[in-house]
Amino acid sequence: MKRTVRCAWLVGALASVLAACATPNAAGPAAPGAAAATAAARPTREVLGNGVVLITQEHRAADVVALQVWMRVGGRDEAPDELGLSHYLEHMLFKGTPTRPPGSIDREIEGLGGSSNAFTSYDFTHYDVVVPAAHVKAALELLADIAVNAAFVPEELEAEKKVVFEEMNLTEDDPEKFLGRRLSEVAYRGHPYGRPILGTREFIQALNRERLNAYYKKQYVPQSMSLVVIGPLTAAQVRPLAQATFGRLTGPPAPRRSTPPLPSMAGGRRDDVPRDEQQAYLGLAWYAAATTLAPEDIPAVDLLSYILGDGPSSRLNQTVREQKNLVFAIEAAYVTREQSGTVSVTARCEPKNLDAAEAAIMDVIRRVKSEGVTEAERQRAIVTAESSYAFDIETSEGLAKSYGQAETTWTLDNELAYLGRLRLVSAAQIQAAARKYLGDDDMARVRFIPKGAK
Amino acid sequence: MSRRAFALALAVMLATPWLAAAQAPNDGVTVARLDNGITVMVRENRVAPVVAVALLLRMGSRWETPANSGISNFTHAVMVKGTTKRSGGDLADLVASLGGKISAAGDVDYSGIQGTALARFWRELLDITAELALSPQLNPAEVDRERDWLLSRLQRRRDNAPARAFDEFYRTLYGSHPYALPNLGTRESLARIDHAAIVDWYRAFYRPERMTLVVSGQVSAAEVMAEARRLFGGLAAGTPVTDPRIAPPQASGRRIVVAQPAQQTQILVGGLAPSLDHPDHAAVKVLSTILGGGMAGRLFVELRDKSALAYTAASFYDPVHEPGALVLYLGTAPENAAKAEQALLAEVRKIREVPVSPEELSRAKGYLLGRYAMDRRTNERLAWYLSFYEVEGVGRAYPERYRRQVEAVTVADVQRAARTYLGSLSSVVLGP
Repeated sequence: MKRTVRCAWLVGALASVLAACATPNAAGPAAPGAAAATAAARPTREVLGNGVVLITQEHRAADVVALQVWMRVGGRDEAPDELGLSHYLEHMLFKGTPTRPPGSIDREIEGLGGSSNAFTSYDFTHYDVVVPAAHVKAALELLADIAVNAAFVPEELEAEKKVVFEEMNLTEDDPEKFLGRRLSEVAYRGHPYGRPILGTREFIQALNRERLNAYYKKQYVPQSMSLVVIGPLTAAQVRPLAQATFGRLTGPPAPRRSTPPLPSMAGGRRDDVPRDEQQAYLGLAWYAAATTLAPEDIPAVDLLSYILGDGPSSRLNQTVREQKNLVFAIEAAYVTREQSGTVSVTARCEPKNLDAAEAAIMDVIRRVKSEGVTEAERQRAIVTAESSYAFDIETSEGLAKSYGQAETTWTLDNELAYLGRLRLVSAAQIQAAARKYLGDDDMARVRFIPKGAK
Repeated sequence: MSRRAFALALAVMLATPWLAAAQAPNDGVTVARLDNGITVMVRENRVAPVVAVALLLRMGSRWETPANSGISNFTHAVMVKGTTKRSGGDLADLVASLGGKISAAGDVDYSGIQGTALARFWRELLDITAELALSPQLNPAEVDRERDWLLSRLQRRRDNAPARAFDEFYRTLYGSHPYALPNLGTRESLARIDHAAIVDWYRAFYRPERMTLVVSGQVSAAEVMAEARRLFGGLAAGTPVTDPRIAPPQASGRRIVVAQPAQQTQILVGGLAPSLDHPDHAAVKVLSTILGGGMAGRLFVELRDKSALAYTAASFYDPVHEPGALVLYLGTAPENAAKAEQALLAEVRKIREVPVSPEELSRAKGYLLGRYAMDRRTNERLAWYLSFYEVEGVGRAYPERYRRQVEAVTVADVQRAARTYLGSLSSVVLGP
């Protein structure tokens, strides 16, 4: 499926960074890219003796290698009294091991001329390192070390709490990021996907080493790990290095994941939030196909979301922004997770236009449901999807991300076949997807209303 | 969400590496200067079936005044709303059908059009770029619509605490120098800029000798070059515009406090710094990296990791034509703001007084050049860098020269840079 955000390493401007990164719910399986663009290049997937999945592919665009660890653990695996543990672990993994003192991990990676990133979502936690190819061994050793040997030095654990509180503040200060968060919380209230990924202040404040370590030992086990290595290296070169590091990790079997039923949105859910900004924000969300829920509908919903709200030529942009002039910006997005996908429409507008904008959005959707989409729109959406994947594979980390996410929340084969399936979707199927998922009443709505506005 | 997104992204203002290779005769870059003065470069890159175009020109807020601040960006916003052949809606449909994106904007030292598409549509992408650049409609009705849109963006920027803090900082630091002006303009200037002003601005600047066109991707250089000649070669050379002499900025050394409702307080402290072709540029880049480059930078280690006084801790030093700005930046909880600011100033004193260790210097260089390399891999970035260095007047050899200069920076250079450029500090504190 399309990725809805390009994250940190691609983003230059401060404002876009604030808007784009750290949207935990923005991560669905991504990019069946390689299949589309370079038919010859296919990934190699193998399962090491201890259950770690290793995915490799040669990518000689540059002399750098992307190494990513995808953990099958995230916000949805937390018990109601564990909220925020997955994310807290993500932070603490960089805080030292018995052989790597606090502070040394970041210095080590940066000293190699590399960079690192990490990300927590509901279905997974993701660690990402890019280094010059000459340092692949050092990077693998480091990643395998932090994957199971994090030390949780008490002073570090305490100090990081303030950092997480600041992250909470920062999210709240950014209206677009906070709208995405709030929309997810409202749409999925009563389901793990509605939980706060960062946890609550009270719980994080009280968090201690024993609690965190128990969760770590339970979740960070070889059977829950996928390692993706993409760069100017063959599978035969990577395999022994992976064996000597990740292949030697031990641990108990992976815990069973809970799969609570999706709550009903019948009748709709509404939430208005007074805010300090001068502009209003509107977010609408519907449940949609996911990798374990009607996955056969995923390509049609994906195309539907492109047609509705991807870019200036999309229906919502042309109608609600260009013709009716009701919003300053509008877009539709589709995020797939394992248990439920989400189609969302978000817009920024004058407070006085909130009602009219919502009515216009619903009208655009009703027209798609009653009249369908044109062949030209279908074709454009397919080209857009193809293009999105082609741009992903320009860098080794882009390719690694699409493979890792697919392996973790779907399957690699589905990913590789995806673009082919997308091309077979008919206009009628897109219309049917709109009818099936975008109900007038089964919708969550969040509005940010300026405090000064009437 | 990522603890690291922030630090990394903040440090991305870099520039890059494989350009080093681009100087070699066999690097896949073909260069031509057409008779009318436009520079064209094509970089063949087989990695992925995509293409990127950058058409940049010498035009931007550097040439603006408080009265017409934002006009370069405003002009570009109107340019993409239609050409003499196509409406804005038709353009949007066409670009989407190429799997493409096109944007146009004004920056500080440059403005222009950037686009991407699937490689098989390179010809269409280049045609649209030429159409937008050479025959925009500049419809009066679109001027009013785009003004409203730009005003909404101004408001959004004002609502965004870090973005607003940076705007306030540059205004404070640069005083009457045009780098004090925001790219987007101000409410007052946008209200004043009318259709006639936009047409005049467009005509004054959209001249071949000010432009550089770069295409990078899975294309044939010979084919692209021929098409570029066909599209741009007929544009008449203009009377060269003489760029105004700008008096060097005088650092204000002021501390400004701005009230803004938010959960976080933003603290920016910094000074005037060298331009990108100044002999001290590399030393200040290294200094900036030691202080605030990544998660091993001093600000991150001392203020976030060790004392948790800030969540965001980074430094910025963009390459620009006129004197640049070295900015140290913290985002922190309001109750920690006073302590965080003091701790930041202590770091400034320390780096001015105590020489850095050779290990720290080496790490900073590795990080700086590594990031520079990482940022130069996609066609979009490669096209931008090639055109940016051309427009800045430093040429294609710049990246290699810059790399060598960074590698040559010594411990003494860093201390001298700190004493020279972090003497008179200006600051902005913005928060609840």
